[in-house]
Amino acid sequence: MAKYANPETLVETDWVKENLGKPGIKLVEIDVDTKAYEAGHIPGAVGFNWQTQLQDQVRRDIISKEAFEKLVGGAGISPSDTVILYGDNNNWFAAYGFWLFEIYGHKDVRLMNGGRVKWLNEKDKPLTTEVPSVTPIQYKVTATHLELRAMLPQVFEAQKGNWNLVDVRSPDEFTGKVIAPPGMSETAQRGGHIPGAKSIPWSTAVGPDGTFKSPEELHRIYVEQKGVDSNKDTIAYCRIGERSSHTWFVLKHLIGLKNVKNYDGSWTEYGNVVAAPIEKG
Amino acid sequence: MNHATRVYDNIFEMMPSEENPTPMVKLNRINKSAEFPLYAKLEWMNPFGSVKDRAAWAMLKDLEERGEIGGQRGLVEPTSGNTGISLAAMARARGYHMRAVVPNKVPLEKKILLQIAGADLDVISDELCPAPGLGDGSINLAKTHAKASGHKYAMPNQYENEKNVEAHFRTTGPEIWKQTEGKITHLFVSLGTCGTVSGTSKFLRSKKPGVKVIAVQPTEGHDVPRLRNVSQLGVSKLFDSSLIDDILEVDFRLAYTRALELCQNEGLMAGPSSGLILEGALDIVMRDKKGFGVMIFPDNVFKYTSNMVKHIPRLGAGTTP
Repeated sequence: MAKYANPETLVETDWVKENLGKPGIKLVEIDVDTKAYEAGHIPGAVGFNWQTQLQDQVRRDIISKEAFEKLVGGAGISPSDTVILYGDNNNWFAAYGFWLFEIYGHKDVRLMNGGRVKWLNEKDKPLTTEVPSVTPIQYKVTATHLELRAMLPQVFEAQKGNWNLVDVRSPDEFTGKVIAPPGMSETAQRGGHIPGAKSIPWSTAVGPDGTFKSPEELHRIYVEQKGVDSNKDTIAYCRIGERSSHTWFVLKHLIGLKNVKNYDGSWTEYGNVVAAPIEKG
Repeated sequence: MNHATRVYDNIFEMMPSEENPTPMVKLNRINKSAEFPLYAKLEWMNPFGSVKDRAAWAMLKDLEERGEIGGQRGLVEPTSGNTGISLAAMARARGYHMRAVVPNKVPLEKKILLQIAGADLDVISDELCPAPGLGDGSINLAKTHAKASGHKYAMPNQYENEKNVEAHFRTTGPEIWKQTEGKITHLFVSLGTCGTVSGTSKFLRSKKPGVKVIAVQPTEGHDVPRLRNVSQLGVSKLFDSSLIDDILEVDFRLAYTRALELCQNEGLMAGPSSGLILEGALDIVMRDKKGFGVMIFPDNVFKYTSNMVKHIPRLGAGTTP
């Protein structure tokens, strides 16, 4: 059987259980529903709040290098640690966290396949409400990889045809029937998609149990069936950049495309830009 | 306990049984077919106000009998309201605590009622983007509490607990059989956990294999509280398609207008899921022409006034000076 392009970036729940409490292994839970961590988490895991800890609280942006150093060092994580990320909703925000850890150059970061639901439903996997006591340390970012992030000018550039644009939102958001899923506070003025984008909803990458599909299946679906050209660079986007982090992870680390960027501005930026071209339907 | 005088030593003696069934009332104005009468089984006449009393009581008794509850250990349950209200009221009356995990789309009335019944409430945001493998947020959060705080919580889990099915096999089925004197030909139900349909169908078919079991579903994207569309049924392990003859899909807006018709034309203060079941039953009366139908009406309209106004805006008119 073929392997994922970067198999070291994905760990199974059994591996996590076997390595619980080992020095140098740090678990981080990041959820959409921030109540989940408090109700129960993997023993030893710290919880990051995507709204208050992973986003700049003044301007719309990812946290700065300094804020990242403070957050991660404050959680007792050192640059040489192996960081395992997991979360609810099939690892949406865990994948967003993964992307952030890579942007700030953390060397060994991995995603737990299947996320917290898989762990929860496996009988031999413990959960606790105990928050681990951590000793804050100095964390220094030594390299940043902003090339993993697409900004608006590149999104315009990508429409000239030399890039794959992958829209991972639901079909109704892609066609413009809805601007955002119901009840979302972050939204846009207009509905539709970026001209030339392919609609490949993020859930295409996972099976019924929430784990990623096999390397062969992923390649067949994304490259052969959906026509993502492996010779081109790629930008993935969604509404606010979390679902597209999940697909970014699939395209970059599981399928192994060479230059994949996550456009975290996504539809809430693009759909608000005056005079930006939009396709509907 | 005396069902004749209706004097009881405690509320639990009022729980339904063959000897103390919930009432069945014939529709007289909405369905005029003499060849195919329709009876509504009024589950809101249960002591805690809905069909869920049956499953809640069976699950709670089972936990008590197995020594799974008591002392520090209470209950946690994912619920769209009715099961939680029944469980919370029952649990508190027996001295246990109860945490209810509910999706945000549950009507405000139910959330307040849960707190009135004595539940601690966890409200979680609704699903952002439906997808495989996500499971149901409220089920997962309840499971998390049960697993991480096992010393505090036992989880009945109505979506998997066989006692849910058994409760209907032991009570709802025999009640209907006795009340209709074996004349029932069609059973009309909605689907939530599927405990009602599975247990009742199993019993009635053991008596009369030809009884047709019709499940009525709201169309996708619905907001009829406590019901699940076919595509959402994966969450219930109690769903058994072999116990159902037809699954009808009905435009969910009709749930509200039909419920209003029941209130205004039959004197039956039925909630929207009953309205949906009625719509399905009327379709089958047209299709099959002859029969003897029983509709299980899960609860009354009192918890749904805000949903009713949302779908029938004129109900909200004229309510201010």
